[in-house]
Amino acid sequence: MRLGTTISRTFVAMMALVAVAAIDAPARAQAPTTAPNPTADSVNEDLLFKQDPKIHGRISIPDQKAANLIQPQGREWRLFHEGWMPWIGAAAILGMIAALALFFFTRGRIKLEHSEESGRKILRFNGFERFTHWMTASCFVILALSGLNYIFGKRLLMPIIGPEAFATLAQWAKYSHVYLAWPFMLGIVFMFAVWLRDNIPNRIDWQWIKAGGGFIGKAHPHAERFNAGQKVVFWMVTGFGTAMGITGLMMLFPFYATDINGMQVMQGIHSLIGVVFIAAILAHIYIGSLGMEGAYDAMGSGKVDLAWARSHHDLWVEKEQAKTASGPQLRPHQAPAE
Amino acid sequence: MKAFVVAVICAVALGIAASYVLATSQRFAWQAFSTTSTRVSQPGTNLVGPRWTGDVKGPHDEVAGDPQSGKRS
Repeated sequence: MRLGTTISRTFVAMMALVAVAAIDAPARAQAPTTAPNPTADSVNEDLLFKQDPKIHGRISIPDQKAANLIQPQGREWRLFHEGWMPWIGAAAILGMIAALALFFFTRGRIKLEHSEESGRKILRFNGFERFTHWMTASCFVILALSGLNYIFGKRLLMPIIGPEAFATLAQWAKYSHVYLAWPFMLGIVFMFAVWLRDNIPNRIDWQWIKAGGGFIGKAHPHAERFNAGQKVVFWMVTGFGTAMGITGLMMLFPFYATDINGMQVMQGIHSLIGVVFIAAILAHIYIGSLGMEGAYDAMGSGKVDLAWARSHHDLWVEKEQAKTASGPQLRPHQAPAE
Repeated sequence: MKAFVVAVICAVALGIAASYVLATSQRFAWQAFSTTSTRVSQPGTNLVGPRWTGDVKGPHDEVAGDPQSGKRS
């Protein structure tokens, strides 16, 4: 009897030991090792960035900016202009081209509507206005192409023409971008001075917008010298042109007014506005040439067909004709008095 | 057409004028950052030599056609 009791107690004790060992084993497996970590207290990148947004030291050369060893925001900037920017630029420009193509194939070219006034001409833009437009426009085309070369050149052009030709082209594109920016900025100032008075928004513009600007349906809403769409283009060009000028000057004279973070922000703003600007001007070029019959004459010869002017800018025609009984309108082949 | 031609001529002329004005106020980096204690040579003569072709075959190869390729200024 005593032997049986002893055996049973021994068995229970063994089972208890096995159970304790089974519970304890995982806990032991997860316990940290007691081996010392020799680099646990050493300075690392994360610790340095908690003290200062940059890692920098001391240097003896005059350019103190070279003392910056690591600037984390530079990585975000690189990710933006190497990763996001090409996609944003492609979406803006190709999206606009696709939208214009869709509009052209569905709406077609807006035709010139003939009337008894057809064939008579009215002076729409004088010589200085056309000079201002074309100086700004020709510079814009070069600035746009050379600017796009910064984003897409090495990706699209260099594989086709080779690195040597691309290097030469890119260098001349850079020169043209930097130097033609000055007549472009001058043109923006001239445009603002010459056309500001006729581009102040008013109630007629709201009526023009509500009527769809004549693009929807066949009726032509009333408009003065510039309709609401043209006023949007004016304010877009002067606003974006000013912003591009300021950010461009910041990059042309680096570190005069801002530090490296500011330089990166300026580059980001310049490139983002640039691609939107190009996309918007594509629409302007379309409607001023292929999209609307008779529109190009305004900036080509300066004189437009009176019937066209009456359709699209009726209030302006009335005002011009009220100035004088003979008016500035001309018979065909008659030279304008500019 | 006359306004366009005059505008393009003026744009080019203003661009050339801007290049001359900028040239008086800007210096190359190798000029701007040279001091009495640090001399930075003109690109093309420092580090790789004026006739460097870019065809480096190995770490100990001499730069093609330039016996002074190993010198650094």
